[in-house]
Amino acid sequence: MIQLQQIHRIFKVGDQQVHALNDLSLTINGGEYLSIMGPSGSGKSTLLNLIGLLDQPTSGEYTFNNQKVTTLSDDQKAVLRRDQIGFIFQFFHLVPRLTAIENIELPMVLAGIPSTERRTRVSRILDAVGLAERAHHKPEQLSGGQQQRVAIARATIMQPSVLLADEPTGNLDSASGNDVVEILEALNQQGITLIIVTHDAALGARAMREIKMIDGRIIDDGHQKPR
Amino acid sequence: MMVTKSHARMRLNDTLSLTYGALRGAPTRTGLMLLAMAIGVAAVVVLTSLGEGARRYISDEFTSLGTNLLIVLPGRSETSGDMATLLMSDTTRDLTLDDARALMRSRYIRRLSPINVGSSQLSWRERSRDISVFGATHDLLAIHHWKMAQGRFLPLVEMDRATPVCVIGARLSSELFGNRPPVGEWVRLGERRFRVIGVLATKGRTVGIDVEEIVVIPVASAQALFNEASLFRIIIEARDRDAIRHASAFIKTTLRKRHQGEEDITLITQDAVLATFDKIFQSLTFTVAGIAAISLAVAGILVMNVMLVSVSQRTAEIGLLKALGASQRQIVTLFLWEAAMLSFAGACIGLLIGLGGSWLIGYLFPAITMGAPLWAVVAAVGVALLTGLLFGVMPARRAARLNPVLALVHHR
Amino acid sequence: MLIKDLIKLTSCAVIAQRMRSFLTSLGIAIGVAAVVLLTSIGDGMQRFVMAEFTQFGTNLIAINPGKTTTHGASIGIYGTERPLTIDDAAALEKLRDVEAVVPLVQGNAEVESTHRQRRTTVYGISGDMPHAYRVEVALGRYFINEDPSTPRAVAVLGSKLRSELFGSRNPLEQRIRIGGERYRIIGVFAPKGQILGVDLDDAVYIPAARAQEMFNRDSLVEIDLLYRETADVDEVVASIARLLSARHGRDDVTITTQQQMLDVLGSVLAILTFAVAALGSISLLVGSVGIFTIMTIAVNERTSEIGLLRALGGKRQQVMAIFLGEAIILATLGGLLGLVIGVGGAQLLTLLFPALPVHISWNYLIAAETLAIVIGVIAGVWPARRAAKLNPVDALRSE
Repeated sequence: MIQLQQIHRIFKVGDQQVHALNDLSLTINGGEYLSIMGPSGSGKSTLLNLIGLLDQPTSGEYTFNNQKVTTLSDDQKAVLRRDQIGFIFQFFHLVPRLTAIENIELPMVLAGIPSTERRTRVSRILDAVGLAERAHHKPEQLSGGQQQRVAIARATIMQPSVLLADEPTGNLDSASGNDVVEILEALNQQGITLIIVTHDAALGARAMREIKMIDGRIIDDGHQKPR
Repeated sequence: MMVTKSHARMRLNDTLSLTYGALRGAPTRTGLMLLAMAIGVAAVVVLTSLGEGARRYISDEFTSLGTNLLIVLPGRSETSGDMATLLMSDTTRDLTLDDARALMRSRYIRRLSPINVGSSQLSWRERSRDISVFGATHDLLAIHHWKMAQGRFLPLVEMDRATPVCVIGARLSSELFGNRPPVGEWVRLGERRFRVIGVLATKGRTVGIDVEEIVVIPVASAQALFNEASLFRIIIEARDRDAIRHASAFIKTTLRKRHQGEEDITLITQDAVLATFDKIFQSLTFTVAGIAAISLAVAGILVMNVMLVSVSQRTAEIGLLKALGASQRQIVTLFLWEAAMLSFAGACIGLLIGLGGSWLIGYLFPAITMGAPLWAVVAAVGVALLTGLLFGVMPARRAARLNPVLALVHHR
Repeated sequence: MLIKDLIKLTSCAVIAQRMRSFLTSLGIAIGVAAVVLLTSIGDGMQRFVMAEFTQFGTNLIAINPGKTTTHGASIGIYGTERPLTIDDAAALEKLRDVEAVVPLVQGNAEVESTHRQRRTTVYGISGDMPHAYRVEVALGRYFINEDPSTPRAVAVLGSKLRSELFGSRNPLEQRIRIGGERYRIIGVFAPKGQILGVDLDDAVYIPAARAQEMFNRDSLVEIDLLYRETADVDEVVASIARLLSARHGRDDVTITTQQQMLDVLGSVLAILTFAVAALGSISLLVGSVGIFTIMTIAVNERTSEIGLLRALGGKRQQVMAIFLGEAIILATLGGLLGLVIGVGGAQLLTLLFPALPVHISWNYLIAAETLAIVIGVIAGVWPARRAAKLNPVDALRSE
């Protein structure tokens, strides 16, 4: 469902050009569980942003769900992100003045879904991430693990086909980190494609397919290992 | 005591460079606050200089009328000195040439001219034009400080001699005669014939009268022309400023005696009229400046708002300063300096814009002598500085009271 | 995005920064309050002056001797070659659509009753005067049109002069001296009050020809003419001009209709009010700089939030709408607060200075609030566009 062909991504930093992604090709099928690892500066976050349609390749072809997305307009990509892609960040990125419910609702608000439907969807998902009784708390009143679970709820509320997680446990203690990974893996079991970018070798090893990157290239694509 | 003092004080240039750095750190924000202050100050400066320009314009108009003037109008008005009496002629007993002559006897009066005014048609050959006619005497030239371009003014004769001569305004002369010398030509005013003996050089207007478009004839001729025995007014020049008071007393008693004991004239002194106008324009300028100064208060609020934002954004920096041993007082000082520098710089920019704007208006409309009064400039800058400091107090105190531990922790 | 959600999102952000939002709105509020207050005073003045003028009615025409000269004002009132005469007035009466003609001679004189005396204004007029000026005779009667060549020595008193001279005694049929001549009082006018500083009650009214004799002049100061309301003003003016040109041999009078005067006066006062409002708007301008500044700061502070919104599938225009919405909410609230302060201030002014004509006009209130909102839009557009244009990757990374 995700097909990257000969992708280059070049940044200009001052007079210098940084080749963040260098002739990268990658195919990811629906329902895969993938981890991308590598040292910082290896281009893994750039790759994630590119897959998530936040960034645009300098050259190359990207096909998402059999649709060429490199030529899509900004707004069309926004709609794709909203409906098909869920993001999970290291620092949670919750809006501090909104409650847990309101944070989760945000994608539906942007999609213009009426509030009655939103309410049923949110309460279902709150139960799923085990935060029903924290629904009306603001982010500052939640622990890190709880915040990340709110973020996961927000990322999945639109029932996306892909979940992109950038160091989802990077800011959590191991117990809550474990909780979060388990929720993500459960979602993967239900059929969502899960792509995790991480430094953490243990976390990376849990994925069914481990990709290692250095200098903008994939140096190891440990295909489907049995689990 | 000396010790604590030396500890509590920061060197001024260090304070300034710290503050300057803080302001430089957020250039957009600093620029916008400067803009706000500048708008306020510029508005005050431009508006007051407009008001001041209008005041000067009027007072110039009045002094161009002559100096140490007294004007006698027929009819009594209770509120002397207001414009209505200048424009309305309501008469009980006429003011006559004999009245004017009687006034000449005072040693406080240097010269005077009885005046009659009317409008008529001036024609020379086929050309004619509706104009204002002034009946006057020889002395009017000196009283109004008028100059002659050609020929001479009305001859020095007895007031009641109706000689058929006239003096015309410069524009009138060129419109009627073109390049031909008008002196010596005979023109017609209504049904009568007059010989042109001079052309007025005076340009511009004297209190609403376009000097370039008038005809001056002897007052006795004007009375005959308009069939009017009464005078429109008598213009009197007192010997000097101090003589005005004596002259006005003399005028009142003399005319009362001559008018069977009734005080039926209105006496306007130029000073009184000027003072009234001055007062009106001054209060107008004050009001306008006050309205403009409201915007300074708004600018002050903006400074406070942005300083509050800046305090919360610089929490870590403040915590660090405290950890390094800065006293609450020093932090208050730092933030107040920041507010002061902002408002002062804004005020200076505003001053430049305001003065530039005033200059531009003066350049585009040369009739108005622009020039912001000093008090307005000082007040504008002062108010800007004051509002800046006043509105800076609260953010500064908030910064000073921050808990250093929390302030440091706040930084992620 | 649903409008309801947009409002909720934006107002949430406004509320979250209470102090900041309050101060920003306060800037706008002060500007709006200044505009409201100043226009209320200006509008009040305008109404006051117009009401003063329309007391006379609106279908009056004033005829003055002398043609308006090139530099504007007519100075012809001080004597022309061909003055307006009572005969002119009589001739005007015969014109079509003319209801009343009042020749006017004006002067000051000493008025003496048996006990008291007072210097006051003397108006020489005709029998048409009460009809033309809309004054009522309170006591007695008014001199009916009589032979202008031999007018009787009768006088009608203004109400103030009556009480000054006679107190509560009945003045009818009493003898008074006006400027040394004997007159019989036949009536008293009902109070009309001051009209632009001219007190019509502190005056005595006598036939115009009598006044001419008293002030030793042949001419009239003015002729006032009342025309039928259904008549066409231009036609009336034209017929007056024709008639007087024929009588004088040339066009040497100035004809001013009340409507012209009202129009000129009205537009002058409206310009004044507008100018004052513009002065007040300087504060609004500064207030808009405030909104601009605060919105710029907000965009800076919430860069990562903008990145998040974009990652969640927010379109550029949605991000723009959210920030623009915040600016508009700030301006709108400020405007409303300003309306409250302004209207309250105006009420307070009327309470403290009842003489000051203050009129709160809905038009200006609506205009001020609209202006505030427009200012919000203008001040908010640039920061909002900047927010919308942010690169989502960079925005997310900023912390």
